[in-house]
Amino acid sequence: MRKFDEVKDEFEQELGRRMRRVDPPEGFMERLLERAEAEIPARSTRSTVLTMPRRTVFRAWVGGAIAATLVAGLFVGQHIRARQQERKAEVARQQFETAMQVTDHALDHTRASLQRAGLTLSESFGIEIKTLEPQEKGEAQ
Amino acid sequence: MQIDSIKFRNLVEQHQSMVFSIALRVTGEFGVAEEVAQDAFLELHRSSERLESEDHVRFWLRRVTVHRATDALRSRARRPEAAAEEWMDEQHSEVAGAGLDFGIVARLDELLRTLPEAMRIAVVLRYQEEMLPDEIASMLGQPVATVKSNLQRGLQLLRRKAVTTMKEYVRAEI
Repeated sequence: MRKFDEVKDEFEQELGRRMRRVDPPEGFMERLLERAEAEIPARSTRSTVLTMPRRTVFRAWVGGAIAATLVAGLFVGQHIRARQQERKAEVARQQFETAMQVTDHALDHTRASLQRAGLTLSESFGIEIKTLEPQEKGEAQ
Repeated sequence: MQIDSIKFRNLVEQHQSMVFSIALRVTGEFGVAEEVAQDAFLELHRSSERLESEDHVRFWLRRVTVHRATDALRSRARRPEAAAEEWMDEQHSEVAGAGLDFGIVARLDELLRTLPEAMRIAVVLRYQEEMLPDEIASMLGQPVATVKSNLQRGLQLLRRKAVTTMKEYVRAEI
């Protein structure tokens, strides 16, 4: 790397000559002094209580409002989701109960029909349904 | 160093061209540069008690101006090339009284504005303010190697662009 604290080459010398300082526009000093004077009384009468600049307060307020909205949205979302799950569970329970009732009813109806025909469920479907005799029930217990 | 209004006025007169020129070459806009320069002097007015000497004031003003100018650039999110035409027009009128070949000066400043921010700042401080790399590094809080690298790359870019642009300029003048 070239050492920039050594002698400048021709291009750099030209660059230095071209990059002369520029005077500020007319009225710069007056405008600056006006601002400075406007600031001095404001500083001397300023309360000693530490206050945040208005812009910072506004930003903090907006940030807080956004955060509160997000948190509230999160809670509402969770609540809605829980309610939906409860509703689904209730519907599923009702459907299950209905299905059980229908099945019981169908079984009763089938059993009655078979009995009228002199058959039992085990004979009809080849399933051995063992009915415990009262004596066996006692032993089993 | 406590400063009264007369002392403040003297300091502004003494340093206004330095502060304004740094702000102008970093931001590339006259209006923004004036705002940056005023902000730097107002901050000097507020912080005068902490400043110990004339050298300290100059060092402090350069640093604050560079930081304010960088902030202004970023807050406006303008690319350096964006206001090149505006810069050229303004620069023409400002340097007219200086008796320079302002066509070339304006083009050089225009090229300078196309450099990335870090390189532009290093080049301005080195060639406008004639600061040494270690002084620039100390002022910007950067390693000297970073400053040297920015200077080297900035100069390479400027050379490359200057060759093309100056040829075009000479051709147009003929």
